Amino acid sequence: MKKIITLALMVALPSGVLAHSKVEETTPANGATITAVPAEIGLNFSKDIRLTRIEMAHEEHSAVSLDLGDQTSFGQEFTIPLPSNGTGTYVIEWRGLGEDGHAMQGEFSFTVE
Amino acid sequence: MPDIWGIAAVFVKLGLYIGFAGSTGLIIVSCFYSGFVAPIHRVMKRQARALACLALAATAIGFMLRGAALTGGVDGMVDPEMLGLLWQTSVGDVLVYRLVGAAMIIVGLSVPRVGLPIALLGGTVALWSFAQIGHVPELESFGVQLLLLLHLLCVAFWVGIFSPLRSMALMPEHLSDAAELGHRFGQTAALVVPTLIGAGLWIAWLIVGNLQGLLFTGYGRALLLKVFLVALLMILAAANKLRFVPAMQSGEAKAARHLARSIEAEAIVVLVVLATTATLTSVLTLPS
Repeated sequence: MKKIITLALMVALPSGVLAHSKVEETTPANGATITAVPAEIGLNFSKDIRLTRIEMAHEEHSAVSLDLGDQTSFGQEFTIPLPSNGTGTYVIEWRGLGEDGHAMQGEFSFTVE
Repeated sequence: MPDIWGIAAVFVKLGLYIGFAGSTGLIIVSCFYSGFVAPIHRVMKRQARALACLALAATAIGFMLRGAALTGGVDGMVDPEMLGLLWQTSVGDVLVYRLVGAAMIIVGLSVPRVGLPIALLGGTVALWSFAQIGHVPELESFGVQLLLLLHLLCVAFWVGIFSPLRSMALMPEHLSDAAELGHRFGQTAALVVPTLIGAGLWIAWLIVGNLQGLLFTGYGRALLLKVFLVALLMILAAANKLRFVPAMQSGEAKAARHLARSIEAEAIVVLVVLATTATLTSVLTLPS
C-alpha cells in the first residue's frame, strides 16, 4: 500500500517551475531619461518568446508599428531599430507569444530631453 | 487591466466551459440514468447538441481571438502568420482536441444506439484539452493532468444533472421518477463532489504553492472566491439531498417545485464559478 501511495505521489507532484516569460531588461530602461534618441531599442526576456508586434507612440506623433526585420523566431534578446521623433516621451508597446502558447504584452517608456 | 481581446477571451472561454461541461454532463447523465430520464431523452439530446455547437463556435472564436491578442488588432483574427504561429504551439494541439471532441459529441448524438459512447468519448477528449494548456501542463506531471480531467468530469456530471432533474421535477406525472433520479444522483454525488473539491484544491495548491500567493494576489483571491461559491453550492445541494428529494419520495409535489428553484439557484452560482475560472485562466497571472 505504501508503495502505491509513494508512486501516486511521485506521479502527481510537479517537477517543473511555474513561470511565464517576462521582460527582464529593456534598453533604454523603463522610465529612463536620456539625452539623445537611441538608434535602436532592446528587449531582454526571461524565457523564449516570439515577438509579434511592437508599436512606438510619441507624444507629438501617432503610434507606428516598428519593423521586426528578420527577428521572427523564438528568442530571448531582441534589438529593434527606432525611428527618431525628436525629444519627448516615447512609449513602446510590445506583444508576443510564449513557447507555451500564452499571448503576452507589455510596455515601457523613456524620455529624450 | 486586460485589453479588449483579454476581456473577449474571458467571455468566449465562459461559452467554451458552458458548452463542453454542459454537453458532456448531459451525456453522462443520459448514460447513467437512462431509465429515469426517458421522458425527456429527446430534449436532453437537443440541449447537448446545442451546447456542443456553442463549444465548437467558442473554440473557433477563441483561437482567432488569440491571433488578435498577438497583433493588438482585429486583423490578427484572420492573419495567417499569427494563426500559423499559434498552430505550432500547444494552442494548436488544444484546437484539434476541441474540434475533434465537439464533432464526436455532435455526431455521436445523431447516431442511434452506439452514438452515446462516441459522444461520451468526444466529451472526454474535449475536457482533456483543458489539461494540455495553461498552468497545469507547466507542472510537467501527467498525474496532475489526469487529476484535472477527473475534476472536469465531476464538474460536468454535476452541471449535467441540472436541466434533466429540474425538468422532471416540474412534471407532476413523473414525480416518483424525478424523486428517484434526485436520490440516485445524491448517492453518486456523495462520492463525486468530494472528489471534485479535493482534486480542485490539490491542483490549486500545486499551482499557487504558498499561502501568501493565495491571500495577496488576484489569482489567489479568485481561487478563494471559487471555494466560497462552491461552499454556497454545497448548502444548496445539501438542502436538495436532505430535504426536497426525501419529501418528493414521500409524494410532496410542492417539494419538487422547491427543488426546481434550488437547481436554478445552483445553476446561477455555477455560472459565476465558471466565469471566475474563465477570468482566472485568461487574464490573471500566477503569483511569482
